[in-house]
Amino acid sequence: MIVAACVKLVDLRPGVDRLTGAVTPSTTLGCSAADRAAVELALQLADSWSAESVVVCCGPDRADPVLREFAAAGVDRLVRIDATGAPDSADVAGLLATTLAGLGADVVVCGDHSLDRGSGSVPAFVAGALGAAQALGLVEVGTEGPGTLRATRRLDGGRRERLVVDAPSVVSVEGSVAELRRASLAATLRAGDVPVEVVAAPGLVVPPTVTTRPWVPPTRVQPPPQGTAALERVVELTGAMVERTPPRTVELPPDRAAALIVEQLRAWGYLEAVPSEPATDG
Amino acid sequence: MSDFDAIVVGAGPAGSAAALELARAGRSVCLLERGPTPGSKNMYGGVVYGRILDTLVPGWWEQMPVQRWVTRRSTMLIHDDRALTVDFRHPGWGAAPFNGATTFRPDFDAWLAGLAVDAGASLVCSTTATGLIREGGRVVGVRTDRPDGDLRAPVVIACDGVNSFLAKEAGMYPHTDAANFTVGVKETISLPREVIDERFGVRGEEGVDIEILGCTGDVPGGGFVYTNATSVAVGLVLSLPALAAGGDRPEELLRRLKAHPAIAPLVEGGEVLEYSAHVIPEAGYEMMPELVGDGILVAGDAAAMCLAAGIWLEGVNFAIGSGAAAGRAAAQCIARNDTSAAALAAYRRALESSFVLADHRKLRAAPHLVMGDLAQRGLPAVACGVMEDLFTVRNPEPKPGVRRIVRTQMRRHGVRARDAVREGLRALRAFG
Ligand SMILES: Cc1cc2nc3c(=O)[nH]c(=O)nc-3n(C[C@H](O)[C@H](O)[C@H](O)COP(=O)(O)OP(=O)(O)OC[C@H]3O[C@@H](n4cnc5c(N)ncnc54)[C@H](O)[C@@H]3O)c2cc1C
Repeated sequence: MIVAACVKLVDLRPGVDRLTGAVTPSTTLGCSAADRAAVELALQLADSWSAESVVVCCGPDRADPVLREFAAAGVDRLVRIDATGAPDSADVAGLLATTLAGLGADVVVCGDHSLDRGSGSVPAFVAGALGAAQALGLVEVGTEGPGTLRATRRLDGGRRERLVVDAPSVVSVEGSVAELRRASLAATLRAGDVPVEVVAAPGLVVPPTVTTRPWVPPTRVQPPPQGTAALERVVELTGAMVERTPPRTVELPPDRAAALIVEQLRAWGYLEAVPSEPATDG
Repeated sequence: MSDFDAIVVGAGPAGSAAALELARAGRSVCLLERGPTPGSKNMYGGVVYGRILDTLVPGWWEQMPVQRWVTRRSTMLIHDDRALTVDFRHPGWGAAPFNGATTFRPDFDAWLAGLAVDAGASLVCSTTATGLIREGGRVVGVRTDRPDGDLRAPVVIACDGVNSFLAKEAGMYPHTDAANFTVGVKETISLPREVIDERFGVRGEEGVDIEILGCTGDVPGGGFVYTNATSVAVGLVLSLPALAAGGDRPEELLRRLKAHPAIAPLVEGGEVLEYSAHVIPEAGYEMMPELVGDGILVAGDAAAMCLAAGIWLEGVNFAIGSGAAAGRAAAQCIARNDTSAAALAAYRRALESSFVLADHRKLRAAPHLVMGDLAQRGLPAVACGVMEDLFTVRNPEPKPGVRRIVRTQMRRHGVRARDAVREGLRALRAFG
């Protein structure tokens, strides 16, 4: 039996030019608490099922030293799908699914969000591609014998859902589920020599990085204030003494409420396109 | 059974230099660092003087991560809202073989540790040495905070920085006195490159180093301003006992320095990126511990080798110099299979004949002098007062004589001629 953990390694200290928004990558990669919890859970499951543990990651070769830290913690195999830049989540999920199928992974554990985009969509895509059962955003995971998980999922309104998930399965966990164990000194020293199996990702199209400036409210043309004294003009400009539109409370079905909110945001000018410009990759 | 030939604790400049020399000598060496990466827990003012790297890393300037090359050094005396600056420019320092460079510690320390790793050292980060392992009185390894974390080697080099727990545990610091320490605080303030160039009067990769006296209120200390590529470092070095005795807090003193008419135009409009603080072993030679024990050497700030002598604040070059010497001495002793204190004493002898102990011995009185009342209050007040009287035109009054101006200012600020002469002679002796 094979238990795999998927992690996303993200640049922890990218340099951001405050004037142009240009991003310079750093050498420091790391992953989210949720991803680290996924690795710990994979180790615990593999221990209790006498299974093999694998960590799979899609990233550049700079990721190898970080992956080796997982080997120091006890992971049996490290696999890296060779990719640079920021490929689309669906493409990453496709590559992960192919690799995981090749490895014969029975249970796949992912973090429920990464450090950068954090939409948590990759595990769902992976489960879809593998045709495996999926349980996402778990806050508690136990086991009912090899291949079977007993899990608790967070729902809206403070409610919880208890699930029993049979292999093949893909689950994603919150960071609080487990804390990655501290590797022993001997294992840490040995980890430097642990091989990372590299899988090529032919045909992977990495979209160019788009630099987005911080959103600034659009300017609105205001007539010049008429007051004679500076204070009057400031009061007029800021609208400090003007009677405000009172807050409106409406009770509507969700779709009409959403439409009303969008309409209001547009009226206030918040929904204009965010200015963006393509930048060269890297 | 030993795990390595040597263990170096701390991947700061001293530790990485020690590990580099050991690895180059073909010795197996483990470099332990408590931070997640070398330099991640370290801060300083900002200038590394590179001459010490000439032999260690020939052509270092082509690979070292540099913010700016210092081509302008100013010493500023501040009193109230006035300031007197002695400004020295040397464009030659902006070309090979260079003199000093501003650089960020996470970049610089990672670079130096990287050289040690490339030479064969095993760097283990996120690992704190929690104590020494001793057998029959000699040090034979360290304990770490990792599971099964004991590590053994015939020699341990403690490069764990100021307030070294390892040197203390080994009994190498007979006593510690808070009066020997200062605390350094620093803000890194972001400004566009062109704005820095314009405000500091530099071009391209040129940079500025300003050392300041008289800017720390009632707390003995000093200040500094350094230029990075797109940020400026402004900081203070403050006496620990004076801070502990109450009064102004470091961040309030720093706020006042930034608001001073001589400094405000340099930093205004910038955004504070980072505030950091670190202790400095200020007293140098007077506070140095035993440098050698059975199976243990101490180098860098762990051995109080930072030179804090007013116009000079140099620690990184002293750390590299002492670390490299420790690494070389340890390698020789390991080759001879004798790491007793007597054999390792070669380290101390090497330091005696290098700038590390020569400078410290020569300047041993300087830190005390710089923190004294005359340097802290009298000198800046009298100097600024003299300048004011010299250059304020009071027509129709005739110009007063310089001697009278000096006498008046000394009287005004309570500086007695006798004390000034005595301190002047002490300064001459101290700075040799
Ligand atoms: C505010 C300030 C301004 C300064 N300005 C300058 C300047 O402009 N130029 C200059 O040359 N010097 C300057 N210095 C001095 C300089 O920073 C130090 O002298 C120098 O860093 C000493 O190097 P080191 O390797 O001995 O110690 P450190 O740089 O302190 O490195 C010690 C290393 O050991 C690690 N460590 C500590 N304990 C353990 C442990 N138990 N286990 C594992 N790892 C451990 C730490 O994380 C650290 O990486 C300044 C210092 C300060 C505080």
